[in-house]
Amino acid sequence: MKTSRKSKIQIGLLLLPGLLVFGIFTIYPILKLFIMSFFEWDFGSMLSHRFIGLENYKEVLGDEYFRTVFINSLVYTLVTVPGQMLAGFLVALLLNQITRFKVGYRVLYYLPVITSWVVASLIFKYVFNTEGLLNYFLMNIVHITSANVRWLDTRWGGMTVAMLLGIWKGIGWNMVVFLAALQTVPTDLYEAAAIDGATAWDKMWNVTIPSIRGTILFALVMLTIGGFNVFTSIKMITGGEPGHQTDVILTWMYHKAFSTGKFGYAAALSFITTVVLAILAVIQFKLMQQKDQ
Amino acid sequence: MKRKTWIQILLHIILIAGLIIVVLPMVYMISTSLKPNGALYEYPPRFLPALDEVTLENYKYVLGQGKFYRNFLNSMCVSVASVLIAAAIASALGYVIARFDFPGKNFLFGFIVLTMIVPGLTLIVPQYELAVKLRVINSLVGLVPFYAAWTIPYSTFMIKGFVEGIPRELDEATYMDGGSVFTVFGRIIIPLAKPGIASVSIFNFLTAWEEFPWANTVLNDNLKRTMPIAISGFFGEHQFTQWGYVFALSVFSLLPILIVFICCQKFFVAGLTSGSVKG
Repeated sequence: MKTSRKSKIQIGLLLLPGLLVFGIFTIYPILKLFIMSFFEWDFGSMLSHRFIGLENYKEVLGDEYFRTVFINSLVYTLVTVPGQMLAGFLVALLLNQITRFKVGYRVLYYLPVITSWVVASLIFKYVFNTEGLLNYFLMNIVHITSANVRWLDTRWGGMTVAMLLGIWKGIGWNMVVFLAALQTVPTDLYEAAAIDGATAWDKMWNVTIPSIRGTILFALVMLTIGGFNVFTSIKMITGGEPGHQTDVILTWMYHKAFSTGKFGYAAALSFITTVVLAILAVIQFKLMQQKDQ
Repeated sequence: MKRKTWIQILLHIILIAGLIIVVLPMVYMISTSLKPNGALYEYPPRFLPALDEVTLENYKYVLGQGKFYRNFLNSMCVSVASVLIAAAIASALGYVIARFDFPGKNFLFGFIVLTMIVPGLTLIVPQYELAVKLRVINSLVGLVPFYAAWTIPYSTFMIKGFVEGIPRELDEATYMDGGSVFTVFGRIIIPLAKPGIASVSIFNFLTAWEEFPWANTVLNDNLKRTMPIAISGFFGEHQFTQWGYVFALSVFSLLPILIVFICCQKFFVAGLTSGSVKG
């Protein structure tokens, strides 16, 4: 179809609002982030800032806190991503086998996903309180511990609570995504495998997993981004305490920007994070394409 | 009984065991919100309140505060406005990208996918600077364009997929009848892509409704707060948190989401899975 003048104008008008919103609220901040990262740019003195080259980057990378928060984010991602994928996949497998109450289970398992991060974090904070329900259960009911565990007062205690929350909240999403994938696996493949005398375990590794590889990688990419994006749960549960030991990249960046006012430092940190994530995503996408061929 | 029946029963037992762990925290939230406030720091802690001490005093307290209605209304207005703007813009973008060629199209689409990957919060510093420039600090209106901008990339990506599933013959027929690009958009694309637009809109509503960091950074006036900020505000001093109030308010904030979720279950699942199963 040849595009007439009138059509061109209408196409342009349909694109315009989107381009405007992108331009102002996405492209401008991305460019500004990059620029700010080369400046000494303090909150409060928005108008006076000084070009300092790579100083912010040097400060970020030389910072002992950066190592701590980077490791925290990395551990959080490495634990919660496989954790919720495995749990969600297992639930999907079971749901795929049962004949009744499928919808009921699906709705209930999905509840944590639609619970807001603020609410979920507060529930976990309350449950893991030193005098809270979980410690009471561990010490006085099942007698695993002899004293109250100070979950929220140590680095790995706090991180454990945040990671448990991350897994708990993610199971439902993985369940839905994997359940949809399982339903696309052709049943004749299973029948063929059964004729060959394959065990359930063989079918899992040689039929199910290869058939849903695309979905596994899709989930991996989305959840890795989500893992590095963790913010609200850490902020609400530990607030980075004790002494920034439980801060992750984004809570540390936020602290630097809005508590100490160092916008330039925060911008450099954000930019590094974005680049790391973009590289990770590209690697994972490449992997996905390779496996497709 | 047959072996198959036993296997079914076993599967249900495992599923129920998992479900108990998943649902327990939610039940504890509700049970705590029904306890009298004095019982919240009791030791030993109990999972459920005694039957005769179940009380609605926490709910009454929360509702008795005038600011509750303001916070609820604030969240509702901001979320609905963001969802509508995002739906309109993303439908237009999705339609044009799916159907027409124009200079820079691949760049635009690549950029949209890229912004889906970048975590939104990494831009909070320059966005704050932008909000200062636009004079929308401490303003509810200021939240809307940011929420819309965050949700548009994913929405566009999904809606483009839905539009590609609509047969082009319908477009051609409309052009034959003298229709324009706008006519096709209004009469063909919007009505037929409605399920897709609905499913992304549900997600966008959830995103805007529960958004915490940006609203917490930009709003500082009590009456302008949205629900997540109001909840976290109840929870000031660590030692003296009134958990009953916190959880009563939490239950109120979950209600709209629960209603939307239960009413639109099929859209929810469709929106989640259409991007993931390809390939």
